[in-house]
Amino acid sequence: MYPKKLQNIIDLFEHLPEVERRETLVAYSDSASKQEPRPNEKFDLEDIRKDEECADKVGVYLQVDDEGRAHLRMTLGPEVQTLTRAMTSILCKGLDGATPQEILDLPQDFVTRIVGAELVRVRSQTTYYVLTRIKSICKVYLDRQRAKQVA
Amino acid sequence: MSTNPTEYAHPEALVDADWLEQHLDDKNIRVVESNEDILLYDTGHIPGAVHIDWRADLQNPVIRDYIAPKQFAELCRRNGISPDTTCVFYGDKANWWACYALWAFRLFGHQKVKILNGGRDKWKAEGRKMTRDLPKYPATNYPVPGQRMDKEIRAFADEALAQSRAKMPLIDVRSPGEYKGEITHMPEYPQEGVLRGGHIPGAKSVPWKTATNEDGTFKSAPELAKIYLDQCGLKPGTETVVYCRIGERSSHTWFVLTYLLGLDRVRNYDGSWTEWGNKVGAPIERSA
Repeated sequence: MYPKKLQNIIDLFEHLPEVERRETLVAYSDSASKQEPRPNEKFDLEDIRKDEECADKVGVYLQVDDEGRAHLRMTLGPEVQTLTRAMTSILCKGLDGATPQEILDLPQDFVTRIVGAELVRVRSQTTYYVLTRIKSICKVYLDRQRAKQVA
Repeated sequence: MSTNPTEYAHPEALVDADWLEQHLDDKNIRVVESNEDILLYDTGHIPGAVHIDWRADLQNPVIRDYIAPKQFAELCRRNGISPDTTCVFYGDKANWWACYALWAFRLFGHQKVKILNGGRDKWKAEGRKMTRDLPKYPATNYPVPGQRMDKEIRAFADEALAQSRAKMPLIDVRSPGEYKGEITHMPEYPQEGVLRGGHIPGAKSVPWKTATNEDGTFKSAPELAKIYLDQCGLKPGTETVVYCRIGERSSHTWFVLTYLLGLDRVRNYDGSWTEWGNKVGAPIERSA
């Protein structure tokens, strides 16, 4: 149902006690800067903006390889919250190699299984932001591909 | 009120980082971190600090209200806080949530409370020690408070309405855009489902940030007196109600008025604009 890499992350989080879940989220947040674009990398789409839903600017970069598989990079402003940083790492790693359509079709329910019901309850706006941005760039990519085919 | 206008009315309620560093091992002190960013504490905190989340720990999970006295006692017990413990609050966002937690502690009658001036950002910017180690304190036997001080330091919507009708002081601490009704949420923050914009009739606009310096510390006593007493006309002995959107920014102003300026009858309307802006029939004023 989920891309394999994402499923592995879900499996890791789902059975963690709450304290270890938070520790693991913080560990993922620590590595968020590793998801930034590398020098000379080229992308099919770039979407860098500051939304009201997030405390600072967030950039999403999408590259689709010859086999139609998506590779994501992200940049985060210094004010971006820890949970958003964690979701950045988790989703860039978990969705790497999925197709844009698979990402767009992804049901949101896995987020609770990773973050935990309590954090989703108390910070619901923060939790889904990165997934929404990634789905958004995939939708733009697919719309453009369809437009090209029609033309 | 302080008899000396150059000093805060209750200088003991504000500590600086040097003072806190010297008292970190004091058994009668508990450092409490409270943030908007719910995982920020987990990324590193002042050694020995406990984490109290404004929503998960202080609010009723079902009804829009605070926890009951019994739950407050349990919160204190598990964080090693007794009625004699001095709680030093600090956090992100120039201490918004630290002031909110402090106000909530006062709601349950906890007496000994302080704020770390400048909060988490200043402590971190100065390169002071932080740790990811979680502290463990022996559970205390915090007695269940007899009641919440809702009447003393908290205002409800009908009381804010009475305040407005009586033309008594109401301070709106939100951004100018929110006050004018141009937006219904904080700049840079998501819309939270408020249906109407504007402010409570008669409320004066004094954004919370007016009380702080660039580094998040509080302005001096004379500067605060000029803003709130001279320009805004607030007086001791007069009922004053402060509000914002959900009560956190107004907790910051409540702390300034109560502890730094010594006004004795200030209440925080925590329902604030997310209640007022949705309430059927609530009078609203808009201004340029």
